[in-house]
Amino acid sequence: MEEILDPIILGQLLIGGLLAGALYALLASGLNLVFGVMRVINIAHAEFMLVGAFGAYVLYTAFGLHPLLALFIVVPAVFGFGWFVQHALVERVVGQPMLTSLLATYGLSIVLLNIGVLIFTSDFKGVPALTGSLVFGEFVLPKPRAVAALVSIVFAVGVYLFLERTRLGKAVRAVSEHPHVATICGIDTKRIRMLTFGLAGAMAGAAGTMLSMIYSFAPESGADFIQKCFAIIVIGGMGNFAGALYGGILLGVVEAFVGGFLSTQWAEATAYLLLVLVLLIRPTGLKGAALAR
Amino acid sequence: MPARQIAFGLALVALAALGPLVGSQYHQAFLLQLFMMVALAQSWNLISGMTGYVSFGHAAFFGVGAYAGTLFIQSGFPWWLAILNGSLIALALSVPLGFLTLRLRGAYFAVAMLGLNEVARIVATLWVSLTNGGSGITLQPAILPPLTVNYYLMLALAIVATIIVARVYHSRFGLELRAIREDEGAAEMIGVNTTRGKLTAFVLSALIPGAAGTVNVMYTSYINPSSAFDPSLNIQMIVMAMFGGSGTVWGPVLGASIVMGLREMLWAQYPALHLMFLGAMLLAVVLFLPGGIISLFTRKKVVRPEVMSTGDGERRG
Repeated sequence: MEEILDPIILGQLLIGGLLAGALYALLASGLNLVFGVMRVINIAHAEFMLVGAFGAYVLYTAFGLHPLLALFIVVPAVFGFGWFVQHALVERVVGQPMLTSLLATYGLSIVLLNIGVLIFTSDFKGVPALTGSLVFGEFVLPKPRAVAALVSIVFAVGVYLFLERTRLGKAVRAVSEHPHVATICGIDTKRIRMLTFGLAGAMAGAAGTMLSMIYSFAPESGADFIQKCFAIIVIGGMGNFAGALYGGILLGVVEAFVGGFLSTQWAEATAYLLLVLVLLIRPTGLKGAALAR
Repeated sequence: MPARQIAFGLALVALAALGPLVGSQYHQAFLLQLFMMVALAQSWNLISGMTGYVSFGHAAFFGVGAYAGTLFIQSGFPWWLAILNGSLIALALSVPLGFLTLRLRGAYFAVAMLGLNEVARIVATLWVSLTNGGSGITLQPAILPPLTVNYYLMLALAIVATIIVARVYHSRFGLELRAIREDEGAAEMIGVNTTRGKLTAFVLSALIPGAAGTVNVMYTSYINPSSAFDPSLNIQMIVMAMFGGSGTVWGPVLGASIVMGLREMLWAQYPALHLMFLGAMLLAVVLFLPGGIISLFTRKKVVRPEVMSTGDGERRG
């Protein structure tokens, strides 16, 4: 026990948690963006991430393309896929009660997952493109994790700035706050929703590409990640983009410490226990939530 | 309940009761699975079909009940007590969980239930002293009842589940639940105690899966974390209830029969294809036939998606 309270080990756990948290933050903020704009919880969000991961895997094994370069192909592709899914499926359930959209995206996630199994089987895959570590004094940063965290932060902050600073981003926020008034103001809400879903898909795709360098993954891996995302958006407030960023970092750090002190298997259950804990203490999320009432 | 429906139900039961007399082992095993799915789909129907609160984790009650029952049988208790225990432990799990999540509107409940099954599986894997971890528990066939007894037990569970749904459907309580589904705010305003209603429906919906879990182990004589907390069980019960017609008495029976029939004809060799098919069915039903197959037969207006509310209140878009 004494060893584990060593400040260096604690620091190392913190670093590991922050690095993982950045990836979670990117993934969950996409989910929250969609929820904020159209009140749809996309249960298939983690499958979009895996589309990105398998995309990176195919590009790496078939063409030897490095995941960092694969980003330039995968991200636009998943953006387009998200746009199409919104156009063909999700648009039909927008504005309908949550039961409908939950079941529709649940169906979509089952379909995508099993297409994955049919193509890639259930074996775990990985993309070992980047190895080695950066050493800062006593602390070690595995290169793939550091790069993944950096890319995640750049992406998430980029989307945040897009939402806050650009005219189009303002339109997205307007639809999120009040779709009717946004329509009256001349905003094409349907187009904004397709853009939003595409954007969320692109963020998931980027997260998936980064994930492919760090973890081994299978078509079934989505379940763990969607659970983490749910915990994060409940912690950060449902529909709150920035809240998901904090929530993601928080979950990453808590998981790292649970993993360090207990076991990695308990770390898997952390997200859920945190979710239940937040519901117990502050049922509407730690930061005010769109669904507070 | 209309007399015609009672007669129809009795005829079905009589037919099912003849099963072991005329059918082979294979037929009995198939029907046992079918009864199990009817029982599970009806349980899901009770909370999700009636109130519009989608439970994505009902398999957890099945698994927890299965473990509770298995441990009882292993310690030498008679199987009927084990079934009761499975049911009660599932109930004991549902009360705090429902209390936590059902005070809130739809989204939180769905989000909390989606992870429940997975967490239960992790706990069952890690709690080795109780569950023997991933290696699972094998029960001696000698202490288990024969297939025919399990057959009738599962049939009884399917009947009880259907009767509960029918009783609730035709009662004032059932009206309250449907009022919650259509507009929770309005239901509250006219004096429905929505939290109590949702909680009661949820707790009732956990009873049968707990018992079914135990009977299933009595039939297979083996349990491990991934068989008890099988995520595809969630998919199946949701698809069956939705496909037949959720929020109705006969929809889940119809849905379970059709989907199980299709599965028996198409499935066995291709599990991934089968699940993909179920996912596509769910998508198709939700988008194009929200009332399920049964809405094709009933001329009465079946619930349309616009009114199947989780009580989110405000309309968007």
